[in-house]
Amino acid sequence: MNKKSLRLFSAEVAMGVGSLFFVIPCLLLVLAAFKPDSEIVKFQGFLPKQWTLANFQEVLGNPEEIPLLRWLFNSITISVSTATLVLTVSSLAAWSMARLRLPGKPIVYGIVLATLMVPGQILLVPIYLLLNTLGWLDTPLALIVPAAGGAFGVFMLHQFFIGIPKDLEEAAALDGCSRLSTFMNVIVPLSRAPMATLFIFTFVGSWNDFLGPLVFLDSLERYTLPVGIALFQTSYFTEYGLTLAASLLCTLPTFIAFMIFQRQLISGMAASGLKE
Amino acid sequence: MKPRASGWMFAAPYLTLFTAFVIGPLIFGFALSLFRWELLSNVKPTFVGFENYVEAYRDPYVHQALGATLRFVWMAVPATILLALVIATGLNAVAGKRQGFWRACIYVPHLLTVSVASILWRWFYNKEFGILNALLRPIGIEIPWLSDPAWAMPAIVLMTLWWTLGGPSVILLSGLQNIPVSYLEAASLDGATPVQRYFRIILPLMRPILLFVTVMHVIGGFQVFGQVYMITRGGPELSTRSLVQYIYETAFNNYRMGYAAALSWILFAVIALFTLVQFRLMREDRS
Repeated sequence: MNKKSLRLFSAEVAMGVGSLFFVIPCLLLVLAAFKPDSEIVKFQGFLPKQWTLANFQEVLGNPEEIPLLRWLFNSITISVSTATLVLTVSSLAAWSMARLRLPGKPIVYGIVLATLMVPGQILLVPIYLLLNTLGWLDTPLALIVPAAGGAFGVFMLHQFFIGIPKDLEEAAALDGCSRLSTFMNVIVPLSRAPMATLFIFTFVGSWNDFLGPLVFLDSLERYTLPVGIALFQTSYFTEYGLTLAASLLCTLPTFIAFMIFQRQLISGMAASGLKE
Repeated sequence: MKPRASGWMFAAPYLTLFTAFVIGPLIFGFALSLFRWELLSNVKPTFVGFENYVEAYRDPYVHQALGATLRFVWMAVPATILLALVIATGLNAVAGKRQGFWRACIYVPHLLTVSVASILWRWFYNKEFGILNALLRPIGIEIPWLSDPAWAMPAIVLMTLWWTLGGPSVILLSGLQNIPVSYLEAASLDGATPVQRYFRIILPLMRPILLFVTVMHVIGGFQVFGQVYMITRGGPELSTRSLVQYIYETAFNNYRMGYAAALSWILFAVIALFTLVQFRLMREDRS
């Protein structure tokens, strides 16, 4: 073995050992979901001695008290709507500010950028009171609409749009395209990658949001998965098997989506670090 | 093309939402912080000036929450940056297809939503039947992970590292991959050892991206809430109650909206201060 392949080999071994720390807890979650409670509350080895589906049957068989599929549906609806709304309004705003000559633009864009520094929690109390006035508390709107005011999407797409050569849009304008059709037919096809990244980021953020649903939602059947699962800890805290089976089920969709979109998610995240 | 106000039409939907849900609440929130405003009480909101801020200054629970938050940031952020750099270096050394596999392994915990990750670790940390103590017991160790104030915060930090290291590792890996190979080759030709190359060339070139990741994690660290709320509820003896949890409880358990608004502005000020200091340190470093 020469020096280079020795180094490669030791790097692989190190990664293999290191990644155990990340992977084993996940495997324990999967395995525990198939264990009877007696094996969960007394450690008897990693593999179940007696494989059982009872936990899953109990979690899925009781939609009145544990509306897991309802929470899944809520999570999907809210995350898709949020990501779609954010992408639509942010891309239109980013493009008009990047391209159209608007009176007063530097000031407006400056204010939008400045709010990137504001931590979300500072808005929690005033938005709660605002939603209360609007009558939107305990509805999906409470989570979808306020998210679309965020500045991140506008900033990210603005950065991308100013890098697109102007000739294309000018040619389209000469051909008699309206501004909206120029946007739809020239800009959108060129911006698939950053738009997909923004969509995925917003989707993931909304899917994992914990504080928002905890504060703005009230009734069991309106919860999203993260808050619904959190409820287990107070109501079923002694039934670990049940809780872990529900946890596993609610992670499955994320896991499948990750397998499909892994490349986009990771390249988008990597790019977010390279731009300063 | 002349500046035309009609172009604002495209930005109007966003700007409406931005005004209604960012700028408006920001101003309203600050105004709120100057009022005694208690939901569910018959007392009408009254203007009290900066009294809420004075109260926060004296409130021992604020000091405690700030201390717990600082402890979390201090334990979690340096460890995150250091370990993410080690992982990214390791990933970078593994070439080709296998890199994607290891990268996915490191990233997998982050697919768990915060409540799931917390439930899982609460089970690991259980003093009687948790797997950690089950594995430690044969060598005569039993750790009161969540019931001892000295252990609770380290336990939260360990779970957080497991849960979040994937993100910064991936970002730092892309930074390492962006370093031009020619720089490293030139250094090798000049007789630099791998260690010298790492500390003299790679790390200095990584400085901007390290700053970015550090700042993001400091900001995120000050906002810690989900895992603390789920694993310890801020206990034992409030030793892990973070600022965000205290704000949450002030607003939505005690319904003291004015005081909670003031506390959020204090959190914002703390974050802004730390961010500014980091940028300043970095700039001095560069010149």
